[in-house]
Amino acid sequence: MVKIVVESLYFRYPEASDYALRNISFRIVEGESVAILGENGAGKTTLAKNLNGLLKPTEGSVKIDGVDTRNLSVAKIARKIGFVNHNPEHQFFAEKVEDEVRFGLRNFGFSEEAADKTIQEVLNVFGLEEYRGKNPFQLSGGEKKRLAIASIMAWRPEALIVDEPTIGMDYAQKLNIRRVLRSIVSEGRCVIVITHDVDFAASICERAIILSRGEVIGDGRLRDLLSDDKLVEKASLRKPFLIELEKETGLTGLEEDFDAISSTLVEVFQKCRS
Amino acid sequence: MSFLRAFKYRRKDTAVHRLDPRSKFLLSIILMAVSIVFTDIRVLLALVFGQIILLSLAESLREWLSSLRGLLFFFAVIFATQILFGGTLYTGFILSLRLLALSSSMSWFFLSSTPEDIGRAMSVAGLPIELTFSFTMAIRFIPVIYDEFQSIYDTQRSRGLELEKGGFRNRIRNLMPVLIPLLVGTIRRTYEIADAMEVRAFGASPKRTIFKPLRLKSGDYLVCAASAILVASAAYLKLLGIE
Repeated sequence: MVKIVVESLYFRYPEASDYALRNISFRIVEGESVAILGENGAGKTTLAKNLNGLLKPTEGSVKIDGVDTRNLSVAKIARKIGFVNHNPEHQFFAEKVEDEVRFGLRNFGFSEEAADKTIQEVLNVFGLEEYRGKNPFQLSGGEKKRLAIASIMAWRPEALIVDEPTIGMDYAQKLNIRRVLRSIVSEGRCVIVITHDVDFAASICERAIILSRGEVIGDGRLRDLLSDDKLVEKASLRKPFLIELEKETGLTGLEEDFDAISSTLVEVFQKCRS
Repeated sequence: MSFLRAFKYRRKDTAVHRLDPRSKFLLSIILMAVSIVFTDIRVLLALVFGQIILLSLAESLREWLSSLRGLLFFFAVIFATQILFGGTLYTGFILSLRLLALSSSMSWFFLSSTPEDIGRAMSVAGLPIELTFSFTMAIRFIPVIYDEFQSIYDTQRSRGLELEKGGFRNRIRNLMPVLIPLLVGTIRRTYEIADAMEVRAFGASPKRTIFKPLRLKSGDYLVCAASAILVASAAYLKLLGIE
């Protein structure tokens, strides 16, 4: 399974005078679920693009299974590490949902037979079977996002990076995306979520990497990091709902059940009492 | 697409940036016309050199240089067509130099003039507001469309698309997954902009006022004089038989 090692990574855009990322080091191993959090402009997407080879480090290195990304094509990395753009419409061009999923499979050399079988499976898993012949642009926001993830997961990458998965989503759509991402985590695949939505991140990820002005200011257990008032303030974030609830009410045990994030307040209290 | 960087306005406080867009536009158009009518290597080199000075004064030489990489593709096309259709390497060089002079004549103007300034200059010239506004919006959206192109391109590369792979026909076909989302996004944006303009009563009043009226200053008269000298010199060179 995939292992991503980032060592003393510095990155600067060609025309910029300052670094967008500075001295970043961490490793992500198989099966981890990691949230990359931070304020706007902190460098989250830049970091994600360095992880999947779209951007190459200015200094330092990013290694995928021991190989420097400078020596790998984006397509080679994409086979192992899938990347879902924050705007799903940036990837749609096919007339039908099924052809959108087929695109990546063709690029990676799947036979038509294998592709047909995979498309069937992936559309079922992501709840998109009924839209198979529909134009991707005619789907709802949540369905578009699911299709974007499905068309990447079709070739079974070992890790998935999802940029802003909940942007512009209503509550029900968020739950659907969460269900999809959790099922990927439960398969032992690595999921990296870039988001501002701390409640969403807390309901999926065990670990968080917090960025501020291009530097890592926190790396560890998500729950521990987001309980730290100073760190949360420095990263322009807020504490997840359950952590705040615990602090304000003195109730304990809520933190063990981040699933409750999808429940109503009454349900949370009932769970706690029982 | 990197050649588009040479046409993206950069906010700077230089003498060139402070000039009235009308005088800059006049010089720019004359430089462009001279680039078109001459094929003499000395004239074209002089034009490029003169524009390098203008770009230096506008502190935009770096942007112009970085855009040249994007022009290399067009230079290659020029050389290829010359070789294929019986031309020489020298004519390929001359045509490439002319392209450089032409693009530079617009480059320093766009690098140093805001789209709003250009729109105001067009309004003052008596063009209808619908036309000037469309022009201003088109210029303003070049960098936005470029950024969107880059994002779409990155997304498709993350799905295994390799634009550099295969022959010419294959490469053109490979562009479709990038161009279709770009086109759809651009068309959608135009509708959104039209709605946003309508809800703010665009076109409700037939007579529009200008918030910051344009005024020619001494520097602008100097540029106009330089433009006149350039036209006279070009006419004289033509009379001398220089092509």
